[in-house]
Amino acid sequence: MADLTAPSTPPARPAARVILHLDMDAFYASVEQRDRPDLRGRPVIVGSPPDQRGVVCAASYEARKFGVRSAMPSRTAGRLCPQGVFVRPRMEEYRHESREIFRLVAATGVFVEQVSVDEAYLEATALIPPALRSEPDAALEWARPLAEELKRSIREQRRLTASVGIAGNKLLAKLASDYRKPDGLMLIPERDKVAFLRPLPVRALHGVGRVTEEALVGAGLGTIGHLQDYPGDLRHLVGSWGPVLKRFAVGEDDRPLELGDEVKSISSETTFEHDTADRPTLRAALREHADDIARKLERRHLWARTVQVKVRYGDFTTLTRQFSVEEPVVEAREIYRLGCWLLAQHQLVSRPLRLLGLGVSGLAEAQARQLRLSLG
Amino acid sequence: MKLTIAKEQLVAGLQAVQNVVGSRTTLPILSNVLLSANEGRLELTATDLDVTIACSVNATVERPGKTTLPVKKFFGIIRELPTGEIELDVDEKSVCAIRAGASFFKINGLAAEEFPPMPSFKQARAVSLPQEKLKAMLRKTSFAVSTDESRYVLNGIFFSLKDHKVTLVATDGRRLALTDEETEISAEAQADFIVPTKAINEVNRLLGSTGTVELKYSENQVAFTTAAEGQMGALIISKLVDGNYPNYRQVIPGECQERISLPREEFLGALRRAELMTSDKSNSVKLSFSRNQLAITANTPEVGEARENLAINYKGKDFAIAFNPAYLMDPLKALETDEVAFELIDELSPGVVKASVPFLYVIMPMRMS
Repeated sequence: MADLTAPSTPPARPAARVILHLDMDAFYASVEQRDRPDLRGRPVIVGSPPDQRGVVCAASYEARKFGVRSAMPSRTAGRLCPQGVFVRPRMEEYRHESREIFRLVAATGVFVEQVSVDEAYLEATALIPPALRSEPDAALEWARPLAEELKRSIREQRRLTASVGIAGNKLLAKLASDYRKPDGLMLIPERDKVAFLRPLPVRALHGVGRVTEEALVGAGLGTIGHLQDYPGDLRHLVGSWGPVLKRFAVGEDDRPLELGDEVKSISSETTFEHDTADRPTLRAALREHADDIARKLERRHLWARTVQVKVRYGDFTTLTRQFSVEEPVVEAREIYRLGCWLLAQHQLVSRPLRLLGLGVSGLAEAQARQLRLSLG
Repeated sequence: MKLTIAKEQLVAGLQAVQNVVGSRTTLPILSNVLLSANEGRLELTATDLDVTIACSVNATVERPGKTTLPVKKFFGIIRELPTGEIELDVDEKSVCAIRAGASFFKINGLAAEEFPPMPSFKQARAVSLPQEKLKAMLRKTSFAVSTDESRYVLNGIFFSLKDHKVTLVATDGRRLALTDEETEISAEAQADFIVPTKAINEVNRLLGSTGTVELKYSENQVAFTTAAEGQMGALIISKLVDGNYPNYRQVIPGECQERISLPREEFLGALRRAELMTSDKSNSVKLSFSRNQLAITANTPEVGEARENLAINYKGKDFAIAFNPAYLMDPLKALETDEVAFELIDELSPGVVKASVPFLYVIMPMRMS
């Protein structure tokens, strides 16, 4: 006989998740301004001097007003902002500063995925009080004092400012930290996320680069709102990534934090002494990179699902193109073949190259490996 | 152009051609089907510039003429109409009025002159085969075609017409399927070419179980024309894959160490069950041969394992080899024989599957780590 006293299954309730995105404001430039009072309030450009070949690593907010951006050639920056103060980067100093900041982050007890020296995702889900675990928006509000405290300790102990975004996933947390820079704190509640995303350009979504943006805008989908209203799953516009993009557009993202020190990609690149379109030179460079990558994969017992090429032209335009394979690659020959194919397929050597790079990602531990027919 | 046509005739014609029309075309005219009415026939043509399909159905033509209509919309309307006669009346502005029973539609078309001209064949060569035969040959090879766009010469089936034989080969670099069929091929009709996957799919769809199919080919294109008593014929024209097919003969092993006869359906069933215990990361099954027994095992860490024994006639030494189960099952599904012969050399060399029909399958094993 059925036990009528047994409790019925409780209705499924949404599980709250709390993600913080921490982003230091103009990190390198801010460290310089902190350490050198004479630079405060002035347009500081960290990078190569404007009369040399090289790029901007970071620009202070004063310099950004002139349109100076990181990765821009220093020459261009010098033209845009003639009164800019160019400072040689002190990488060792920034790394040291980064370690100090992450010590403060670690003290909060959250899980940390460090993205770069000055950027990290923090997950506080495990710390949510039990009463709030099925109340996503209340859980996010609960995290606000945690974020304020972290910003305060960085400001007081390191004399630097950070922007923090709080949201229910990585996608939104990053958008939030970016929204109120510098020294910002922004929270996107679950109930507002769809409306928040609506007016933003599609480019704001994680993973939408120039090519995807062009495809979407070309189809009349310029804003995230357009994507939300689009009836299909976008597959015919952006390929297999369509369903994920569609979920991103409504603020859904279940990517976990990537913890630990596992390798996520391996790459290798050459900057040529003189820009070149010489096929044998380029092939030799690719072959060398492929050998190098294959050796590293072998050493770590990894294989790769994606191969990527990167080219940079004389004017610093930089393009990357990638291809994901059905059967993971490990061999130099196959990595080289795919590198050549990507260059040809996308006609990347349409003019001389300043830089040529080859990389692999989608790495996983090598398992039983499918052997190939020797078709030649 | 004005005609009346039975709904099922028009549906059959549209079904035959509309597949080739992509959802996203750069040229608006490529979203349209070309309709051409003449002397009791309505001809329908659709193309994506790589593959063109045409067919012809019965109609009562009152005023001959030509037009083009957006095929998805047109087919959508026709499908929903009640069974019976449909009247199509196209004016000089390419607007088509559709009448059926109490329904009336107007749909805007584009002038027939804008439609790409039908590819023409100069100095074409030809062979003829029973439709059923070609369909069976495609069934035994098409599963092995590569979908990896970085290996475009493998993105199709290789046709070799020589030595009184039609040979079809498909490979994705991990396995290779080959079948052949004796047929009359004149000396000047001998040729080798690669038919792209898209065209193969359309040919496969339009082949029936009776009648013949004629293959006509030139330097860079191929045409398949089907004809059968009392059935709608179709014409599929496709560009050929531009490139040289690899020398597939060099991967077919000459001699084998062990030739093992296996009951096809039992072997397939056991593989299907073992496959349930594989995963994306761990996608191999192990075949362990010992005296009169084959053990099929799959093992995925943190998920579980499967094991099944098959009684076989085997007297050789104990030996184990691993395969991707999907690649091993494909030929077993495509064949209909009771038995298959499995020829093996060692655990790192290609295995060969044969049957009592013209068929050869070479499969590379997986290296167990």
